[in-house]
Amino acid sequence: MLQINNYSNQILKNISFALKPKQNLLILGFNGAGKSTLAKALCGISPSSVKLFGKQLSHYSSKERTKLINYIPAKLEIFDEYITLGEYLDLSRLHTLLESKKLLKLLAIEHLKNKSCQQLSSGEQQLTMLATAVLHNAKITIFDEPTANLDPNKSRDIFSLLKSGLFQSKIIITHDLTLAYRLGYDVLFIKEGEVDFFGSSEEFFNDSNLDKYFGSSVKMVEEFLVVDF
Amino acid sequence: MKILTYLLALTIIFLSPFHGQIPLELNNITNPTTVDHKLFWDIRLPRVLVAFFAGGILSLGGLIFQSVFKNPMSTPYTLGVATGSTLGVAFAIVFGFSSLLSLFGFLGALLTVLILFGMTLKLQSYETNALLLVGIALAFFYNASLMILFYLSDESQSFEIIHFTMGSVDVVGLEKTLPIILTSFGLLGLSLFYKKELKLLLTSNDYAYLKGVNVKRVNTILLVAVSLAVGVCVSLTGPIGFVGLIIPHILKSIQKKSAEQLIVPIFFYGGLFLVLSDLIARNLGTNSDIPIGIVTAFLGGPFFIYLIMRKR
Repeated sequence: MLQINNYSNQILKNISFALKPKQNLLILGFNGAGKSTLAKALCGISPSSVKLFGKQLSHYSSKERTKLINYIPAKLEIFDEYITLGEYLDLSRLHTLLESKKLLKLLAIEHLKNKSCQQLSSGEQQLTMLATAVLHNAKITIFDEPTANLDPNKSRDIFSLLKSGLFQSKIIITHDLTLAYRLGYDVLFIKEGEVDFFGSSEEFFNDSNLDKYFGSSVKMVEEFLVVDF
Repeated sequence: MKILTYLLALTIIFLSPFHGQIPLELNNITNPTTVDHKLFWDIRLPRVLVAFFAGGILSLGGLIFQSVFKNPMSTPYTLGVATGSTLGVAFAIVFGFSSLLSLFGFLGALLTVLILFGMTLKLQSYETNALLLVGIALAFFYNASLMILFYLSDESQSFEIIHFTMGSVDVVGLEKTLPIILTSFGLLGLSLFYKKELKLLLTSNDYAYLKGVNVKRVNTILLVAVSLAVGVCVSLTGPIGFVGLIIPHILKSIQKKSAEQLIVPIFFYGGLFLVLSDLIARNLGTNSDIPIGIVTAFLGGPFFIYLIMRKR
């Protein structure tokens, strides 16, 4: 479904991995390891030789490309101060039959529909971006830290949303190890721009790996991952 | 309310050619043997038309530049495109290409856009501050080049250049207004055709790309179209500053809508603003008409500052 071979740029070194159809992926790694840089290469924002469904991404037409891949950045970036949440969502309505109204209700942001995107709180912006991912409905959606600005309740909502059948394949970049562990997807760990681990969730989340990557700061307590301060 | 303001604006534009230093006798306008007829059809009307369409092009050009470069300060003027065009025209005057003023104006504008666009590609992103600095540096460079052209020119050429750089909508003959009218409709049509792409560009380039916009292509088409239009405009009127900067901002802050919904109003009110400015320039009672650029800056400047202060 997705394949990248020996991709390097200023930050990343020799990145190679492949995903099978319907496979979901978690990208983990420390700050500055190159996770977002990789995401931008995978969706074509930065030029790369990534292959999607057997064909190089740059060889698809712009329209075909939107069916295949979408990227939800960590922060909402918007230049025009008067574009409202509703208008912003409409721009993402591409390959779905879902009603915007239902989705807004589901995410509890219905009352913000006519509010300018720039005036939303960072949590509300996060939910807005997730809503665009649902409406866009690409075959592969890359989420860059989807729970970064959310309170615990909202994080749990996002978890259920990610687990629901609303998305096709997902690639999720996160620092939230509990979320990563609970999702149980395959893990790609990036360290200083290189792939350091690529394997299943079970293989990754064991004591020796936790110790290797996080030292003494993360511990497994029964079924929970705990950050030890 | 909206219709009322449009009607008022249209009335001003319609009445504008009837006012000037020499009063017109209404009955004579339809009589081709009179001086009034000539005055109205060859001088006043072309002037109002040029003012309207130049104002439209400059305002819409400002809107497009702001959308593409994602910077509220970006306009064909602040980024040096109009100055480039002015230099092109001055070059044509000095080196004997007086019949090709429009072409040279366009080439000057296009060259500047190519430099700016090349910069954005080189910088990998639209680092707008760097771009503005480049625009300012270019404007200084062009002004210096313009000074060199002055030294190379003879007295009549110098006068022609000075008169030109003051900015004026003084155009004699109705047929001369045709290129700018056609260009205006072209630019307006193109902007409306790319309305959705413009809206996506008003969010961010990445978002536009992900939603299926060929960002590079659309940006290139829009920027080339604006430089063409500004080139036509500047070669006819000389540089008229400030319109492109303030009209989009004024309309946005009054209507509180995203810019792509304001394409037609920005064009229309930009035109109205220049018609009004010209009307004032022609009727101040001074011995000769003062350059329209002075009026636009004199009126627009304080009003613009007021709008910015009100927002804070």
